Amino acid sequence: MSEFDLFDLQTQLSRQNLLICFSGPFRHSIIEELGLAVKRYLEQDNVTKSALLDVFSVYVEQAQNVRNYTMRREADQSLPEGSGIVVIGREEEGYVVSSGNLVLAEDVAPLVAHLDRLSGLDKAALKALYKEQARRPREDAAGAGLGLIDMARRATRPLRYAVRPVGDRTTFFSLAVHV
Amino acid sequence: MQPLTIPATRCSPLVEFDPAGGRLRIEGESYPENSFEFFAPVFAALAEALEAGTGPVTLELSLSYLNTSSIKCMIDILDMLEAAHKSGRPVAVLWHCDRENDRALEMAEEFKEDVSLPFSIVAR
Repeated sequence: MSEFDLFDLQTQLSRQNLLICFSGPFRHSIIEELGLAVKRYLEQDNVTKSALLDVFSVYVEQAQNVRNYTMRREADQSLPEGSGIVVIGREEEGYVVSSGNLVLAEDVAPLVAHLDRLSGLDKAALKALYKEQARRPREDAAGAGLGLIDMARRATRPLRYAVRPVGDRTTFFSLAVHV
Repeated sequence: MQPLTIPATRCSPLVEFDPAGGRLRIEGESYPENSFEFFAPVFAALAEALEAGTGPVTLELSLSYLNTSSIKCMIDILDMLEAAHKSGRPVAVLWHCDRENDRALEMAEEFKEDVSLPFSIVAR
């Protein structure tokens, strides 16, 4: 007989100095509420306004990316109702905002190619790429194709990702952004 | 033309458009669920005002945070004003920034880089 006990999970999470951890369906209302909590925690941490906005922006972009992707894949029925995970942790030199969600295997290669490309660009090149993308006509109903570039511009190091196959058709994609 | 007022919500800005005075004011933060849907009435009202009249149009902004999707919408709004400016219409942008918000200041300056219309950034 097993006992239901969250102690181990909480211990693991506490070890990582986490401010926020949410796992579940990313409704817009949840993204808003968590966003408010993020702002309040950071205000208490006495960070500069820029630092607060960097963490907040990167959180919003990742959360909305997960939401938009899971909604799109749910709508075309290629994935069941999606959920994701977002985690914000405090580090010595700043914060790390990470997210994860299931993606279709076929969506992985272009995403990884984009991230690998971004990791090779300096701030000036990222700014140029951002401006170029910003002027392209919208392809996606909700997004502008700018989120990852924006995060790469704010980040203190290249964006890190991990991919883990789950079954034949899906992959779990994780992204970590240090600001 | 009717004035347009969209009250602010936690994740979307206050929008006030007064067509008689030619003033479009957008204030707050912008990260709504679908920014394209949110800004659609703003585009429509601005397009109508630019087509219908000849008077000056001023875009007055006081935005502390925009998600990237909202930034795209703002670029589209600025492009409309820039086109009007190039065809001789008196248009201007006035951006109020919090002196302590470097990110908003940087954002305003980046927008300014891409247009030739009169664009003032006022730090308070």
